[in-house]
Amino acid sequence: MPEVAGDLVLRARGLVKQYKRVRAVDGVELDVAAGERVALLGPNGAGKTTTLMMLLGVVSPDSGWVEVCGYRLPRHRSEAMEHVGFAAGYLPLPERLRVREFLQLFGQLYGMRDPAAKVELGLARFDITHLGGAMGNELSSGQRTLVGIVKATLHQPRLLVLDEPTASLDPDVALRVRNGLERLCAEEGTALLVTSHNMIEVERLCERVVFVSGGHVVADGKPAEVAAAFGRDDLEAVFLHLAERAAEQAAEERL
Amino acid sequence: MRWVRVKAIARRHWYVLLRAPQRWFDVVVWPVVDAVLFGSIGLYFGTQSGGNGEQAAGFLLAGIILFHVLFQAEISLSTGFMEETWSSNLLNLLTTPLREVEYGAGVMLFGLAKLAMGVTTVSLVALALFAFDVTSLGLALIPLVAILLVVGWAIALFVIGLILRVGQGAEILAWGAIALIMPLSGIFYPVSALPDALQPVAQALPTTHVFEAARGVLAGDGLSWTQIGIAAAESAVLVAGAIWFLVAMLATFRKRGYISRHV
Repeated sequence: MPEVAGDLVLRARGLVKQYKRVRAVDGVELDVAAGERVALLGPNGAGKTTTLMMLLGVVSPDSGWVEVCGYRLPRHRSEAMEHVGFAAGYLPLPERLRVREFLQLFGQLYGMRDPAAKVELGLARFDITHLGGAMGNELSSGQRTLVGIVKATLHQPRLLVLDEPTASLDPDVALRVRNGLERLCAEEGTALLVTSHNMIEVERLCERVVFVSGGHVVADGKPAEVAAAFGRDDLEAVFLHLAERAAEQAAEERL
Repeated sequence: MRWVRVKAIARRHWYVLLRAPQRWFDVVVWPVVDAVLFGSIGLYFGTQSGGNGEQAAGFLLAGIILFHVLFQAEISLSTGFMEETWSSNLLNLLTTPLREVEYGAGVMLFGLAKLAMGVTTVSLVALALFAFDVTSLGLALIPLVAILLVVGWAIALFVIGLILRVGQGAEILAWGAIALIMPLSGIFYPVSALPDALQPVAQALPTTHVFEAARGVLAGDGLSWTQIGIAAAESAVLVAGAIWFLVAMLATFRKRGYISRHV
């Protein structure tokens, strides 16, 4: 494994992405340390998902670079992804695969010769062992999300990236997801980078928040510090303030 | 390249085949339909024209059996990739250590199994109903099948590249490209039977020379290594072009963020 600066599992510098006339991401810089729990927040269209996709090597930045566990993308994408797990609340499970088959498949894609034991451990961690024999298209959206997170954590990644993990989950399942993630981070030292529109959840789960608006990082710090910097009581109020400002800017550009 | 990943991809597509009844059309229904259709046409017209009906049927059946090598190779690789887009699995795969070459090798491995099933079906029906034994082509089958296999995969790489570039609208080419090649390749007739304007196009296709060589073997003239050589050279150009095109389309896919079409 290459030498890593400090204990950083993720480094991104000067990320820029332009789609036709829209500058989706404009100079984002981000570091995530080992074991750190970070939320990437912002209103719709702020550039969160494009940033995540660049961090994962799925989208190429127009300029800037990304390094995961010391591996520079895109040249060492495969080596980098051996240390990353990704799950998104909006991704369905492939049809015609049972949950265990799906998890075995991804365990092997992560390089594990026989992931059966890890699959059972992962299912148990999130209390969904009973779903192991179900077909992917038989699951509810909450169950799909849980299976997706199990998939993303099978190989004990150093960085877990979750895009809207608890969207459309009821509070009970969302709590189970949060508890499972906290346990995982504590037991295995996994760093977490998560996007969410649920600010209460973010405040409970993450020790650091990075607000993105108009493609820029506009705040980076502990939840309480960020709220205070904007003169607001909590992250929800900061979020609403930024969303309002983004809407005003969009209206001005239309004029 | 990690073998465990290649096997995992092949197994994933095997599960899809087992659980998707419509996929059995490719490996059972179409081969049976084609064998019965072309065997019967050959038998009927061969007899009507006062010739040897079985020999005419043999020419058509050899053509359709070899065509199935091309068809099965192409369709298994292109629909294998499309399965990932249909089930929104592309983002899941792109965020794993899986390399493009490992994915391709996995689907090709699965495709070989599917090809074996499809070609065995069409060959057995030809043998059972029309007493045509494709192994009568002898060892000549090896280069003929090898070139058709490679051409089928190359066409699929072009189709996958187009899907990455323009989205699911290009899916029809998985079937359409083969349909276009079929009449131009002289599967059932020599190139001289084609309209003059189309003959240069036909000569530029490696498949044309494979089928020409196969007809020569059936006629008892032996395997024409000249035809095989031309087919191999044209296939090499096609493969190089297909790989270049796919790599370029994948770069465009990442640059323009087309993953958003598949989530």
